[in-house]
Parts: sequence; structure tokens; C-alpha cells
Amino acid sequence: MNRRAIGLALIAAVLALGAVVRVWTALNDRAYRSPIASSEHLPVPRDRGLAEIKQAEEAAAAAKPYEAPAYRTFPFAPSRVAVWIAAQLHLMFAAFVLAVPMFALIIEFIGYMTGDKRYDRLAYEFTKLLSTSFSFTASFGGLLTFLLIMLYPAFMNYLMSVFSPTFLPYALLFFCEAGFLYSYYYGWGKFHPLVHLGLGLGINVVGTAIMVIANAWASFMMTPQGVAPSGALIDLYAAFDNYSWMPINIHRFIGNIAFGGSIAAAYAAWKFLHATSDEERAHYDWMGYIGNFVAIAAFLPLPFAGYYLAKEIYAYNQALGIMMMGGAFSWLFIIQAVLIGNLFLAANYYLWLGMGRIDGVQAYQKYVKYLLGAIAVCFAVWATPHSLVATAGEIRNMGGTVHPILGYLGVMSAKNTAVNVLILTTYVSFLFYRRTGKQPTVSWARTGHVAQFLIFAVATSIVIFYGIYGYFVEAAVRISFSVPQVGTVLVAMAAMTVIDVFLMRGSAALGETRWGSVPASSQYCLIFIAVTFTWLMGLMGYVRSGLRSHWHVYGIMADTSVDAFTPTLGYATQIISVCVLLFFSLIAFVFWLASLHDKPDWGGAPSAPDAHAHEPKKVAAVT
Amino acid sequence: MKSPVGLNVVGVVVGATLFYTYIGQLVPQKELRPPAVIAISADMTPAQLAVIGGKIANDKGMCLTCHTVGAPPGPRRFPDLAGVADRAKTRIAGVDQREYFAMSLCQPDAFVVSGFVKGMPTINKAPIGLTDQELHAVIAWLESQGGQPTITLADPLPRCGAAS
Repeated sequence: MNRRAIGLALIAAVLALGAVVRVWTALNDRAYRSPIASSEHLPVPRDRGLAEIKQAEEAAAAAKPYEAPAYRTFPFAPSRVAVWIAAQLHLMFAAFVLAVPMFALIIEFIGYMTGDKRYDRLAYEFTKLLSTSFSFTASFGGLLTFLLIMLYPAFMNYLMSVFSPTFLPYALLFFCEAGFLYSYYYGWGKFHPLVHLGLGLGINVVGTAIMVIANAWASFMMTPQGVAPSGALIDLYAAFDNYSWMPINIHRFIGNIAFGGSIAAAYAAWKFLHATSDEERAHYDWMGYIGNFVAIAAFLPLPFAGYYLAKEIYAYNQALGIMMMGGAFSWLFIIQAVLIGNLFLAANYYLWLGMGRIDGVQAYQKYVKYLLGAIAVCFAVWATPHSLVATAGEIRNMGGTVHPILGYLGVMSAKNTAVNVLILTTYVSFLFYRRTGKQPTVSWARTGHVAQFLIFAVATSIVIFYGIYGYFVEAAVRISFSVPQVGTVLVAMAAMTVIDVFLMRGSAALGETRWGSVPASSQYCLIFIAVTFTWLMGLMGYVRSGLRSHWHVYGIMADTSVDAFTPTLGYATQIISVCVLLFFSLIAFVFWLASLHDKPDWGGAPSAPDAHAHEPKKVAAVT
Repeated sequence: MKSPVGLNVVGVVVGATLFYTYIGQLVPQKELRPPAVIAISADMTPAQLAVIGGKIANDKGMCLTCHTVGAPPGPRRFPDLAGVADRAKTRIAGVDQREYFAMSLCQPDAFVVSGFVKGMPTINKAPIGLTDQELHAVIAWLESQGGQPTITLADPLPRCGAAS
């Protein structure tokens, strides 16, 4: 067929299609027309009817009263889940941004005092992670605020009626935080060291102030004070300084440091695993060690801050405390025990692997199996539930859900004892690590060793004594035993540290510390610790918030939305995992951005002469 | 073949997260809903009220979050409620059983049983906030713990203020 014929066929097809459309339109045009022949448009009864309907609609719209909605719905997921994820991600980035400047400042200060440039470089390396994370914190904070205003307008309105005087200072502090943070980062090497340290101090002071203001809002929701039963504000200061405010401040302050240290250590691990030179491996091994040291050092007192928070929750409302520890959320603490047990195991494992980088490790390696045994036993005790998940037959045989023997391990006496011994054991692991490759030279070395051992033995005995004695006294007395247990552990650690500092002063080195010579598994261990810390943070955030059950503000403002129920722990853990994976996806982006800094310019062109002049000079980290 | 570092790291992150999620599925799964509203009519007998009171004690009243009923002897944090109907008659001189129960619920700090500490919330105030009818039902249930319930909705509740 030639082109002409195709053209004609196409034209014919178009004409035929046009004819079909015209006939179809004519057949479907059923509007009534006036029978009077006229060139003017005359309204027919239908037009008048339509106009009346439109008029009525306009009148109804004009007379419609404004009704403030209590709730709106999120389009893709339950409103609560949307707020939950935004809040959790905001908190994770905020914790990181608040924590990193604390130890960056301390490390920079050590560098300034000792004149050792390695510390300066390390502090700068930590700070590089901050700028993008700060943006993420602010972005998720904005998202959270908009979601709350959009989805929970009545609740937000109430919260504003109580805390509005705190909003302006909060916003202004954010400006200050941005000013300090970016001056600290971009001003590295540009100012006198003391001025720069002052900027670092500014970030920390302002960041902490931001945190304590936000904590007042969150803690008020759980333990409201300073308001009438109707919710009317009576005393802003009392609303701010409510029962759980200070415990949450302390708990978050310490927890943020532990979390930030673990994430910074994960960054170092990531860099170590991708390092191409021994110098890089040495530097990032050291950085990972410092990050992990910060994380574990902050982690050890964290359970004590947790006790304080729980004590204040009990003091505010016994039922709230009982629901947390013995009611609906009691199983959550078994999940927590698994997480914390894993943290202790991983932290010790990392320290034991780290001993391998030091000559003269053999002296302490023989003790590792005993430490591992103690940790495993304590972990098992802590993770033993009071009542067991069992089949009907098993429950019949046991005479209930409480096992006749294991049931004794499921109560607080056993768990408090287990966690205190875990802390002491981890501390001993650290002490062994610290001593590896060193030989004390002081004349009283033997006495010092004996004194340290005695302190450890006595402290462990006291902790175990109170743990056993707790089974024979009333609950009101038993609860108070946690104080001497905690006090003993803290005093013992402090005393052993003081002795060790003097004992090891001027010690002889048995060999060299070969930074960078640790196996790759130690770095994956650091990443595992970071994931576990993040997951733990998500879990404890859930219990703090979920404890309010069907209340926006406990006992003051009820949640009447469709989401006013406490989901199962299984569902909660799935949401927590989503938050954790989202966080790690975003933090991987932060790591990648921070790594770009060290890459050569595009096209292979050499960097501008002064492009990185502010960076501290690279110094080999091998000692 | 050596696996790439990036893949290993993703494996550690996702693997650990999945492991903890799995642990979360192993524990008992319970969903907590806001307390259900139970209809109480004026013509209910004390026995019918006691049945409803038992449900309220277990749900909205949150009584059994702290208290036990017929638990084996041993140290405990809150009084066991088995046989409380008898004990309530003689606990405080000059205070009868019904007034004692009303006082325990509405003015819990006015009297604390020896060996225990303060901590009972005021039951007719938020966050628990039992209504007058619900208080009657719970008292009927308490009366049934070792005794016969006698209270009806027509009976006044001393010490419960505006709620009575």
C-alpha cells in the first residue's frame, strides 16, 4: 500500500470518528429547551431550580458555624503512628546533636591542655557529623509540630494554654544553638583555642536548656502538676517542674551521651572498615574506642537514673508505677533486659578483642572466661520473667504461671542484683583493658592490687546480700534496698578508679599499643552496640509515652480519638524497628556526607590551597 | 569470596533490628482499651451490683492492678482483698463497713492499714474517676469478699463528697 492510500485512509478514519462523536453527543444532549423560538436565552424551569439549589447551598455555607475539630486523620497511616515515627526520629537526632558536642568539647579540651593534636583532630571528626544531623533534628521537629497541630489540634491547643510562655524562649534558644554550633564547626582553627572552647561550651549550655524545656512538656503529659482538675493552669512553675521532669532531664542527659557515643563509634567503625591505609585504620580504631568508651561510661550509671525516674513515677501515682513494672508493660522490661544484656555482652566482647591490640595481653586473658560466665548468669537472671509464657498443661504442672524455682529470679530483688553485678563485671573488664601492657612500678603495687580486689569482693557481696535479704522483708523495705546496692557499686567503682590511677602512674610499658590491629569483628560489634542503643531508646520512649494509656495528659485530658488504646508489644516493637531502620538510613547519609569532606575535588583537580586549612593536621594515631 | 563491607554492615543493622522485633513477638500480646462504660440501673440488686463491681475493679477501677484477691501469704505491697468484708467491720472503731469502704476509696490517705504505706489513689477523681453508681458497684463487690453484698444505689455514700 502506498503512502497516498494510507493518508486517505487516515483522513477517512478521523472523519468517521468525528461523525461518531457528533452523533453520540447529539443523542446524549437531553437538556430540556423552551418550545418558544427565540435568539435569546430563556430560563427554563430546570435552570431556575438549579439556581435555587445553588442559592440555598451558598446560604448554608454562609451560615455554617465554626467547629474546632478535636482530631483529624492522617492519610496513609494511623495518626498516632505518624506522630510516633516523627517524634522518635526527632528525639534520636536531637539526642545525637546534644551528646556529640559534650564529648567533642571534652576531647578538644584534653587536646588543648596536653598539646596533643590527635585529640583536636578527633574532636573535629566528631563535630563533622553535627551540621547535617542538626538540620535533620530541626526538620523532624518541624514535621512533628505540624503533624501535632494538624492531627491533634485540641490537645495542642491545651498544651499551648499551659506552656505558651516557654515557646518563645525555646525558639530563641534554637537560634542561639545554630549560632554556636556553626561557629564552632566552621570556626575550627580560626579562633584562639579558648574562644573556640567557649563556643563549644555555648552549644552545650544552650542545647541542655532546649532539652529541659522540651522535657517539661513531655513530662507534664505523664505526671501533670500545677493545673486544676479541669486542666486550668494554676502554677506554670509547678507544671514545668512536675514529678518526672528532673528525673527525665537526668535520664536523657546521660542516655544521650551513651547514645551519641555509640553512634560516633559506629561512624568510626564504618570508616575503619573502609580504610585503605594503616594510618587511617589506626585513627578510626582509636576513634571507635573513644566513642565506645564514652557510650559505656555513660551507660553504666543509666540504670540508676532509671530507678530515680521510676521512683518519681511511683511517688506521683502508685497505679501508674504498678502498671509500668507489674501490669501491662511488665513484659516490656523483659525485652529491655535482652537489649541491655546484649549491650553488656557486646561492650565486654569489644574490650576483650581490644586487649589484642596491646602487647602483654596474656596476663589478663585467662580471666575473660570468668567474666563471661558472670555476665551470662546475670543476663539470664535479668531476662527471667516472673510469670512464664506456658501451655495450659505446663501451667497446670507448675500450679500457676510462676515457676516454683525460676519465679524467684523474676522479681526485682534478683534483677537489681543482676544488673549491679553486671555493671561491676563490665567495670572490671575495662580495668583489665586499661592495665593490659602495663606494669605498675610503685612500691605499694601489691597492696594496691589486694585493696582493689577486696573492694570488688566486698561490693559484690553487699549487692548479693541485699538481693537475698530482699526476699524476707516487706515490699516497702525491699524497694529501699536498691539505694545501698547502687551506692555500693558507685563507691566501689570510684574507689577502684582512684587506686588504679595512682597505681598505674609511671607504670612500665610491657609493649606497644598497635591501634588499627583489631579484627574487623570488633567494628561490627560497635555497629551492633549502636543499633542496640538506638532500639533501646525507641523502646523506652514507647513505655514513657504509652504509660499514659488513653490520656493525652494523664488524668487531665483524655484521648478520645480512634487511636485511644495501647497497642500490643509486638506491634510496638514493629514500629520501633521502622524508626530504627529509618534512623540508620538517614545517619548513613550523614556519614556519607561527612566522608565527602575527605574526598578529592571533582575532576581530580587539586584542592584550593586553603580549602581545608582549618582542619587540624593529620597525625598518625599509633602510639 | 569475601562479602562487601557495606553489605555486612546492612546485615548487622537489619539483622539486629529483626532479632529485637522477633523478641517483641514472643512476649504475651495484650491490647489495652479505654475502660468500657457498663450500664447500671437503679433497680439492680446488691448481688447484681457486686458482679458489675467486680468487672469495674478489674477494668476502669484498676483495683486489681495493685491488690490481689486470695493470693498466698507472704510479703506484699498492698493488702489482699480476700475476706475484706469482715475486716472492714472492725478496722476502725465507730466506722461501719460501708463507711470504711467509702473512706478507703474516696479518702484513701485518711487511714492506712498498718504495715502498708500511702499510695492508694482517690478513686472518684481523675485519672480513675469512678462515678457514684460505679462506686456503689465496687463497694457491693468488696462486701461480697467474705460477706453478703447489701448496698443498693439508693444508699448514700459517706465521705465521697459530690460524687455520692
